[in-house]
Amino acid sequence: MPSIVTADGLSKTFQVKVRDPGLRGAVRALFRPRYRDVLAVRDVTFRIEPGEIVAFLGPNGAGKTTTLKMLAGLLYPTSGRVEAAGFVPWTGGPPFKRRIALVLGNRQQLVWDLPPEETFLLNRAIYDIPDVDYRARLAELVALLELGDVLQKPVRQLSLGERMKCELVASLLHHPPLLFLDEPTLGLDVTAQEAIRRFLIEYRDRHGATVLLTSHYMQDVTALASRVLMINRGRLLYDGALDVLVGRIARTKRIELVLGGDGGDGHRVTAEALAAFGDLKSFHFPNAVLEVRREDAPATSARLLAAFPVADLSIEDPPIEEVIRLAFARGVEEDQ
Amino acid sequence: MIKRYAALIRNAWLVDLQYRASIVLWLLWGVTEPAIALGIWWAIAGDGSVGGYARADFARYFFAVMLINQLTIAWDSWYLDRWIRDGELNYRLVRPLHPAHEAVAENIAYKARTASVILVVWLLAAAAWPAVRLPLDPGRWALTAVAVLLAAAMRFFISFTTGLLAFWTTRATAIMELHAGVSLFLAGRIAPLALLPPAVASVAGALWFRSMLAFPVDLLTGAVHGTDAIVRGLAAQILWLGMWFLAYRIAWSRGIRKYGAVGG
Repeated sequence: MPSIVTADGLSKTFQVKVRDPGLRGAVRALFRPRYRDVLAVRDVTFRIEPGEIVAFLGPNGAGKTTTLKMLAGLLYPTSGRVEAAGFVPWTGGPPFKRRIALVLGNRQQLVWDLPPEETFLLNRAIYDIPDVDYRARLAELVALLELGDVLQKPVRQLSLGERMKCELVASLLHHPPLLFLDEPTLGLDVTAQEAIRRFLIEYRDRHGATVLLTSHYMQDVTALASRVLMINRGRLLYDGALDVLVGRIARTKRIELVLGGDGGDGHRVTAEALAAFGDLKSFHFPNAVLEVRREDAPATSARLLAAFPVADLSIEDPPIEEVIRLAFARGVEEDQ
Repeated sequence: MIKRYAALIRNAWLVDLQYRASIVLWLLWGVTEPAIALGIWWAIAGDGSVGGYARADFARYFFAVMLINQLTIAWDSWYLDRWIRDGELNYRLVRPLHPAHEAVAENIAYKARTASVILVVWLLAAAAWPAVRLPLDPGRWALTAVAVLLAAAMRFFISFTTGLLAFWTTRATAIMELHAGVSLFLAGRIAPLALLPPAVASVAGALWFRSMLAFPVDLLTGAVHGTDAIVRGLAAQILWLGMWFLAYRIAWSRGIRKYGAVGG
């Protein structure tokens, strides 16, 4: 099957006005404006296959949203080639737009003063959705997102989570095969975040849709994305599975222990004793966390089991936020 | 496309109905300006006439201004300015419907609502006050309808194009305010063009201002008569509509390339 998204040497440069501080700077800028080129996206190349859920990772201003907007046809690339859902986005016109959805976490299409159902009806007309399909799709989306009784309330009275769910309904009624989601869980509470994640996976499984998303929440990425594109300062640093990235960046593994016994004098496990096995991160009897070199993890675990009364032992990667922080700090290539 | 327009207009009316107070305010605004202008000219004319306009002529003129201004006015530059600066244009650009269609539908909804109320006001006034009655000449009404349609289309493109300047400047609405200020005089909102100094009136005629409002108003009240004058007036409207449409096309295609798609 051909790729659903192809980006080839994609770049975007913004011209930003620069001025010196103070009144003099302002006046000078008025008569002789100076511009600086900001390279928001530089020479980014990747392919996405149908049915994938792919997350863009990167700090603020890394170029994630700019890339997403170029794929959705909102921004013209300065150079490079893009194809999405079989079209060049900014010349694809209505046939392209019918095949995509763009959900922006901080911008909404729902009409503020009306119940969400009015926006859905509007989109039914705009996308020419036959009545039978409209009713079936609406029923499915409402059930999956557990929206029940909010459809008739004015949007301004809905919670942020309810609004985002309705936003998803409005964006998916035309059944696009390609979804662009920019911060879809921004500002939502944990329950609403989880509901959205569950929904996206279910929706992909049912309809084979491809999902590209950006998010600040690591849980979004670990729960949803089989693949991450890591972007920093406009450059694509890494493209691949999240656990491979972790393996590449994290030189250590965490051994989490739950010690057996009563901790009394007979079997006193001391911090000093544990520290001999690796870097002791925390110790509150009966829990202990040790960090050891990745390749040493199995052997050290065996020695720990032999040395102490262990009720439970697990080997984990370091927290993903930590790995990502390290990846951006060091650059991904270092440990290849 | 009819279905889409019906849905857009329906939503615009539904939103309007949420804000009954604002409907009354807009209506008051639409009535107040011509009413004040009429009051002033009424006092000036006294029992005689000014430049050929007696009291009854002023009354007819400003009632026509009230109606036709509401039928042709366009607020799109304010909407577009917000859409562009706040990024609300984003989701409109990914829908398979050009954002201008939404703006046109909004215009139809607004005009149908305000103009129908003003028409009722006028009918009530005409029942009591013979001065503001108009001759029931179907030909003239039909021509006026064409002129109003042309004026509405032109004012839409003026407003939309000015709004598109928000792609380049943060002062797009200020430019529209300036245009509104100039048109107060040059389009005939404050006085019939016939009463303006000849130099000013000729500027209004040479540019698009007369076509915006004064021409359809004069057509309705009978101040413009004779095939020649009517054809010239309509031709000027078509010309300026074409020019503004062209300006809109250029501004749209350049602006959309420049668009920063705010919000990230």
